[in-house]
Amino acid sequence: MKRITIITLAFLLTTMAAMAQTGLNINRLFDGRYKKAAGATEIIVTGVQAREIGLTVYHSLSVTDKSQAELVEGLVVKDGVQAVDKEVEYRNGQLYYGFYTMKKGKRDNRYIFYLNQNLARKSPKNIVTLIYMEGEASADKIKKLIRK
Amino acid sequence: MNKNYQISDQAELEQLIKRYFDGETSVQEEQLLRVTLADCPWSSEVIDDARFTMGYFAAHCQETERVAKKNNRRKLIGIAASIAIILAAGGYALWHQQQSAGVCIAYVNGQIVQDDDKVMALVADDLSKMDNASKAMTNQLSSLGEALELDNE
Repeated sequence: MKRITIITLAFLLTTMAAMAQTGLNINRLFDGRYKKAAGATEIIVTGVQAREIGLTVYHSLSVTDKSQAELVEGLVVKDGVQAVDKEVEYRNGQLYYGFYTMKKGKRDNRYIFYLNQNLARKSPKNIVTLIYMEGEASADKIKKLIRK
Repeated sequence: MNKNYQISDQAELEQLIKRYFDGETSVQEEQLLRVTLADCPWSSEVIDDARFTMGYFAAHCQETERVAKKNNRRKLIGIAASIAIILAAGGYALWHQQQSAGVCIAYVNGQIVQDDDKVMALVADDLSKMDNASKAMTNQLSSLGEALELDNE
């Protein structure tokens, strides 16, 4: 019974964390499809641990599959159109790096980071990383956070 | 008493009614009495009183049974509702506690990682990658700026 309760709660909480990206195209990527996928890493941090880094939600996804990488890029670019502020770098016609400040959510600011390490000049890697962050922190504070 | 036995006359029936009210009848005789009272055409003060009394008790018993069933149903619904409320309250308390504590979980190549330190190390790794890319972009921009400045000199 206890086990079922814990599993149900974990499911509810991860679902709630996934729902944090509501209204964004990247939300489609956080439907749990990568949780059991080889070559994919999905990280979900909320609550105390997220607050420790000045956030309320940290949700990231790294994929190595090329077709999945294209899907991630496509959805990020779509969300990028709606961004209120962005820093992007394209290489060979592909999005290499993106930092998007999205329209504020119900309470918190929302940010999307994107990086395609395939396009890195130094030691490229077959990894595409997407990070969704939510919190009170300003864009500058988020930039400082990644420099820690 | 024979199962198929039937009361043959009014006197026998009145005798049985008397024995019934004296508490001397067997279960089978009581059943026979009920069936006979319901079906027979005989009528007398004793028979009519018995018919009324036994019919009343039967109806009363049915009513009592119905009320008891209704009460039992209500009790069961009450118990079920109480359990549901307790479970919901407990679940909410646990959920609230968990939510305050938060989630710190990672899925790496289909494997679940629940160790907070390991998950936060993965987060740090993600952020570091973004920092490097961001720096590269900033460096590129400053190189561009420097080149423009040099060109304008």
